[in-house]
Amino acid sequence: MAVATPLMDKLEILAEGAKYDVSCASSGSFRRNRDGIGNAASCGICHSWTSDGRCVSLLKVLMTNSCIYDCAYCINRRSNDVRRVMLTPAEVAELTIGFYRRNYIEGLFLSTGVVRSPDYTMELLIAAVRTLRQEYRFNGYIHLKLVPGADPLLVREAGLIADRVSVNLELPTREGLALLAPDKSRDAVVAPMQQVNRLIAVNRGERRESRKVPRFVPAGQSTQLIVGATDESDRQIVTLSEQLYRRLDLKRVYYSAFIPVVADTRLPDRPTSPLRREHRLYQADWLLRYYGFSAHELLDDRMPNLESDLDPKTGWALRHLDLFPVEVNRVDYETLLRIPGIGVRSAQRIIWARRQGHLAIDELAKLGVVMKRARYFVTARGRYAGECALESSDLRSRLVTGPVPKKASQLELPLFQPLVGDEAAGLISGEL
Amino acid sequence: MGGSYCYDGSFAGLLTLLARLLPQHITPDTISIDPLPQQSLFTDVTVVAADELQAEALWDELEQCLTPSCLKLVTRVFLADRPERELLICRYLLLAWQVGKKIGGMLAHPDVEPLWKLSQQVGREAHRYLGFVRFQEVRGGFYYAAIAPDHRILPLIAHHFAARFRDQQWVIHDTRHGQGIIHDRLRREWLILPMTAHAAPNLTGTEELFQELWRRYFKTLAIAERKNLRLQQGKVPLKVRPWLVEFT
Ligand code: SF4
Repeated sequence: MAVATPLMDKLEILAEGAKYDVSCASSGSFRRNRDGIGNAASCGICHSWTSDGRCVSLLKVLMTNSCIYDCAYCINRRSNDVRRVMLTPAEVAELTIGFYRRNYIEGLFLSTGVVRSPDYTMELLIAAVRTLRQEYRFNGYIHLKLVPGADPLLVREAGLIADRVSVNLELPTREGLALLAPDKSRDAVVAPMQQVNRLIAVNRGERRESRKVPRFVPAGQSTQLIVGATDESDRQIVTLSEQLYRRLDLKRVYYSAFIPVVADTRLPDRPTSPLRREHRLYQADWLLRYYGFSAHELLDDRMPNLESDLDPKTGWALRHLDLFPVEVNRVDYETLLRIPGIGVRSAQRIIWARRQGHLAIDELAKLGVVMKRARYFVTARGRYAGECALESSDLRSRLVTGPVPKKASQLELPLFQPLVGDEAAGLISGEL
Repeated sequence: MGGSYCYDGSFAGLLTLLARLLPQHITPDTISIDPLPQQSLFTDVTVVAADELQAEALWDELEQCLTPSCLKLVTRVFLADRPERELLICRYLLLAWQVGKKIGGMLAHPDVEPLWKLSQQVGREAHRYLGFVRFQEVRGGFYYAAIAPDHRILPLIAHHFAARFRDQQWVIHDTRHGQGIIHDRLRREWLILPMTAHAAPNLTGTEELFQELWRRYFKTLAIAERKNLRLQQGKVPLKVRPWLVEFT
């Protein structure tokens, strides 16, 4: 056990440094297992949940917590007085395989502080992944962080052996980044994202010609934004996300409520309800990705921030009462999706079920519609079941959510539906 | 109409029984499994023996007139560990017998909804166990996992584990229902067999090391500022924790 103890300590320190990175989803990739070990399932699988209720799906660890940079919000910053350790590529591979064979994890999420230079660091990460893929013939899921400033050739190589890559944008605005992460320029962060986006497009074209061409970043790229460390509005954040989805074709944007881990005069004190804000942002994000909303419909000059006591879809509906109530037996899928209390699954079920005959209002709950909200916005066979009229001044207060978080069942992971299957983290799911 | 029926507990046995009930539109009062429960000795119970040919014939017919997803509901519910599963299947198929493929959209119908809900429960549990299985490396070169799921989910998860750990010799043991999947690495096939609990497995040295690494890692992951035990308990119910390394 003499060798084991240092490994144990290193794992602890390096997991501590990686745990604030929220992306956990392991879905959206598909890698078949030919004769090695492992495959990447296309709907995410959670293996456990931590005492903060987050899903554990990947071994999330840093290669090293040493760093030449000094980002204000980061526990690994150069000026922070912590013990510095480093795993070798072989150790990373060994840990991953050991955990994977016991079915503790879906795969690896490998991030790192920057040592010596971005290129040197990127090469270390690639060496670890190459060991896994080649020596252990590991086909499981791998999410690799790209080091801002690394050579485009290394970025390309990383994309060929990982399932997903990401660069964290961290701060929503250029000014925020300059203030809190003075060593990183916005361009150094965005350049690899653009490169990956181009290479994915090229790869898609090549694979259309020949299936033999290996996939490049099959699970796409993601990024993370820290919310509440600088003073940008929700509108700035949601608009940025929309651009990231539309222009860079990102698979996911993750939002991480700012939690101070190091003291710094540039950082705000602990914000009031960061988790509630984070949750609302995830809901708005869902509306962008799956419900056909645009950022400007949710937020504008007059309303720069999401309401904390109402989910963004209900808020939108209350501002557009002239569009409601709608008849569930008649309206199209897109309109169903805009009704508060109706989610992707229940909208699909309604479409499906009404082919067999008109739905009555009391059948909606059985299809998964949350009537508590939906009742005010729909009719079924002409019947309205709201407890007060749409025009009533009471309506808003009846719809606001109390301080209690949503029931666990509403946050349930939808089965066999790869489209939304990656919402594995209980806390961050936002089906509406 | 009505009546009490009894079969051998196999899917073929149930289909044989249904082959008799469906064409005559009989809705039974009870369907039970051999050996007979005490009280039924005094009532009039029809015992139906499994007949592979009849069972297959009925299944072929069902495949003709129903969609694959409807049939999946039926096979899922058959895996449920619930005394009412046979009656639910029977009522559903009686309705299907009348309306055919249209049954696919009748989710709110009283003969469909409970079956659909139960099948979802089974499916959801199976999905959760893709994550909750914990293999232990046992001396002798294989990996052993014990689970105690509510429903008989082994047939629903075997394929996943066979594809993922195809170079590994492994066993998943459902201790509640006394069955296990055995995966043979060399022949690349798996079987579900009756299995009884034996003495505690004889673990390798590396196994203990990895378990300890995993426990420490898991503890580190939690973010104290976000503590939410209620959410955690909704996701990892207490009843599954004895089988999860990180909770022991
Ligand atoms: S570069 Fe990354 S690891 Fe280094 S201080 Fe900045 S955020 Fe932390």
